[in-house]
Amino acid sequence: MTEQHQDAAQTAQNTTTHFGFQTVQAEQKVSLVANVFHSVAAKYDVMNDLMSLGIHRLWKRFTIDCSGVRPGQKVLDLAGGTGDLTALFSRRVGPTGQVVLADINESMLNVGKDKLRDLGLVNNISYVQANAEALPFADNSFDIITIAFGLRNVTDKDAALRSMFRVLKPGGRLLVLEFSKPTEAWLSKVYDVYSFKLLPVMGKLVANDSESYQYLAESIRMHPDQDTLRQMMEHAGFAQTSYHNLTGGIVALHRGYKF
Amino acid sequence: MLPLPALLPQLFCLIAEPLLNRLIRLDPAAQARLQGLQGRQLAVVLTDLKIRLVLTAQPNGIWLNQHQEAVDCVVSTRLDSLQQLQDPSQLTRLIREQALDIDGDLQQLQKFSQFFQQLQPDWAEHLSGYVGDAAAHRIASQLTQLLQLLQLKLQSAEQQLAALALEELRLSPVGAELAQFSTDVSQLQARTEQLARRLQQLSALKGK
Repeated sequence: MTEQHQDAAQTAQNTTTHFGFQTVQAEQKVSLVANVFHSVAAKYDVMNDLMSLGIHRLWKRFTIDCSGVRPGQKVLDLAGGTGDLTALFSRRVGPTGQVVLADINESMLNVGKDKLRDLGLVNNISYVQANAEALPFADNSFDIITIAFGLRNVTDKDAALRSMFRVLKPGGRLLVLEFSKPTEAWLSKVYDVYSFKLLPVMGKLVANDSESYQYLAESIRMHPDQDTLRQMMEHAGFAQTSYHNLTGGIVALHRGYKF
Repeated sequence: MLPLPALLPQLFCLIAEPLLNRLIRLDPAAQARLQGLQGRQLAVVLTDLKIRLVLTAQPNGIWLNQHQEAVDCVVSTRLDSLQQLQDPSQLTRLIREQALDIDGDLQQLQKFSQFFQQLQPDWAEHLSGYVGDAAAHRIASQLTQLLQLLQLKLQSAEQQLAALALEELRLSPVGAELAQFSTDVSQLQARTEQLARRLQQLSALKGK
């Protein structure tokens, strides 16, 4: 292969990305992911409870426990969707603190807004439609940033991590809660059967949308494993990075600090 | 090993936190008492279960978490010693026996303890919203009577069981028998020590 051809192949590779198991143009992924979340937004919470048997609430509480959140702090709940973490943070930072619920998807943000208002949480929460790769906040703005089940949908994860690092205050911490790789072989097999056979059927029955849940299963498999994500966080500038496997590694919580 | 038990503390917090805050809301005086504790954190470490539960007082309730951050006061104890903490006269004994360790601001521990001891949920008031004042009062007073009766029956059953075990079935000794046994053991120990000394002396003589 000539040098020119190699360059052309490299450029093509650089502009493509994964959408589940498919390879698509990078700029296409944003709209494809947006379509998925526009489609599932209304049934998102019901499906979360159903798919995880309610365990996602424990994963989120574990995230809160690891955040060390205190009254008066400023928290960014990135890709915050329907606001589960925002609700927990809002009560903990109290009236002197602030939680920013940010999501790239307007439908998800609207569901989150309605839900949090119904819970009576209005005073210390603000809503921002934002792309994680280019956060519209000043440098050193937040004490804590969380991104729960959102990073795998971001096209350029490295850019998103760098952006989070920029807006985090020195001494602040980033928590990434995301599906990961099961640590036991038997669990991995059971999980594969569940993800590829049962999940799309549940999606079809409850949300009348099997494709979105097929994408969910595929996107989880394409997401970096625990150690790779930890390295990515270190490359973005985070220090003292670590991770906890939850429910046998089906989900992992990564933590990193900005110093 | 099943993966779920690692999240059991979070499951406990998820269930206990709303229940506790519901109880607090049922006590009209509790909100005012919480003001004195606002922002304070107490960690209870159950050493046998390896669980660290952090209670954070907020203006509208108490949040339960499981984290390792610095708090105002840390109480480390075993699950079976936890109930004895209600009795202040037991504290010194528990500390001496290393069954209790307190690190941090003792005053905050006392404030939390006082808050929970003074917590008196007004069940009748809450119930009246569903069944009306008269019925709620009647149900509450009958429940109180039922609880008192149950406590009496429980005490009586405990006494009867103790008498049965001590006197009828002879499953455990009475106090005097225990004291006599203790004296006999002490005497036997003294005689054994005497015999051991005598044997040593004889061995020494034989060696010469």
